[in-house]
Amino acid sequence: MSLENEDIRFMLVVGIAAMLLLFISLLLIFIFTQRKRLQYQQSLRDLQDRQQRQLIEAAVRSEETERHRIAEELHDEVGALLSSTKLYIYSIKNKHTEDDDKGLYRKCTSLLDEAIIKVRGISHNLHSSILQEFGLNEAIKHFALKISNGTHLELSTNLDYSYVTQESTNDINIYRIIQELVNNTLKHAQANKICIRSKYENNLLIFSILHNGKGITQHDFESLRYNKEGLGLKNIQNRIILLKGELNYSQDSAGFKIDLTVPRN
Amino acid sequence: MPKIIQLLLDWSEVWAVCIPAAILLTKKQPAVLKPVVFYVWTALAINILIDLTWKLRNVIPAEYNSNNYLYNLHSVIRFFLFSVFFIGLKQPFLVRFKKLLPFLYLVFLVVNFAFSEDFFNYWAFSSRLLSVEAICLLFYVLQYYLYKITESVETYSFKADFWIVTGLGIYVTINFFIFLLYNDLEVRMQNFAVTLWNVHNITYIVFNIFLAKGFYESRK
Repeated sequence: MSLENEDIRFMLVVGIAAMLLLFISLLLIFIFTQRKRLQYQQSLRDLQDRQQRQLIEAAVRSEETERHRIAEELHDEVGALLSSTKLYIYSIKNKHTEDDDKGLYRKCTSLLDEAIIKVRGISHNLHSSILQEFGLNEAIKHFALKISNGTHLELSTNLDYSYVTQESTNDINIYRIIQELVNNTLKHAQANKICIRSKYENNLLIFSILHNGKGITQHDFESLRYNKEGLGLKNIQNRIILLKGELNYSQDSAGFKIDLTVPRN
Repeated sequence: MPKIIQLLLDWSEVWAVCIPAAILLTKKQPAVLKPVVFYVWTALAINILIDLTWKLRNVIPAEYNSNNYLYNLHSVIRFFLFSVFFIGLKQPFLVRFKKLLPFLYLVFLVVNFAFSEDFFNYWAFSSRLLSVEAICLLFYVLQYYLYKITESVETYSFKADFWIVTGLGIYVTINFFIFLLYNDLEVRMQNFAVTLWNVHNITYIVFNIFLAKGFYESRK
């Protein structure tokens, strides 16, 4: 009888152990295959991200090259042509002294001067020479000055000079984003007061654009960035992906605010 | 101290079910988990009755103070509700057999209790019933994992159903042999049988923790 009891006890222990072994083995196989699958998915996602980044990088680089080419052609070709035209017109001055033509002459030279300034402005805008020579802060300050010069727009800057440009390629992207955001604010929000602020701490460069116009919220931005016609926002989005940054739109009693956060190492 | 632990284990069939029930009170569960939700509430009611019957056995009239039929009832309800749950997962694997299994179990129930055993046996619950239930549920659990292992769809699998199935798997794996030999053990080694029931209670706590985890995960 006692032996039988021992047999039952033994059978029970062996039975439970065998069942547990079977179950645990299957569970481990399951967990192992799931992990493998997740790793595979992750590597696939990484590959897709890398490819996307490479594509965006190529697109941004070609856009930048094209900007430089147009800027140089405007400056060297069109600018030179306008300057020589101006010289010729000045030489005409001595030959035409009649009063009727004086007005036309003055109008012509003033328009020509304006054209030369505009071409220079566009050329500098497209070219990132200031950024490459003097850094991001100077480039933004110069851009702000140029935009507000001769207009009713009040564009102020309050930049953190503890940030020093180390690699201009990434800073060009930040500069272009700021440019596009300010241009958008002027074009769509009709703001007359804009302030560009920056803060650099914990390897994070944060730009804030505050304005008093009719801005957009984060929700509006999320829907607009997938709009096929919104090329500017798409460019911003691409550059943000490259910079691994974040863009946040918000609103408070003081007005609208756009925060651009970029990690800088 | 051992008395407190024993008291906790004695009442574990009630308080353990309260863990997933508490999660259920805070959030509605998706339709696919409804059979499990229903199981939790039913199990809570049956287990309260089981423990009260046992604790008040000296007060209740003799013909009603056995709780063994409630264990049988719990087993039948658990099997059918989890069958519905597994079929409801709509895994395209052994579909016909999964749908057929509840009917086979029903045939077994009728045949077993019509010709062999008494559902309302005063002295013992049906070892055969509970072990057949455990092996059938184990089949469902194993086919779930086998399907998931061979599944070609690239999805994250550690969802609510995974936790519920794993909890059930642990419970039925350990308890299959306990259920199978329990009637014999009660006759031959009563003290050992009582101690062994603590193992059942511990696995039941684990099962309920996994159910709670499953209900919690379904919110994500």
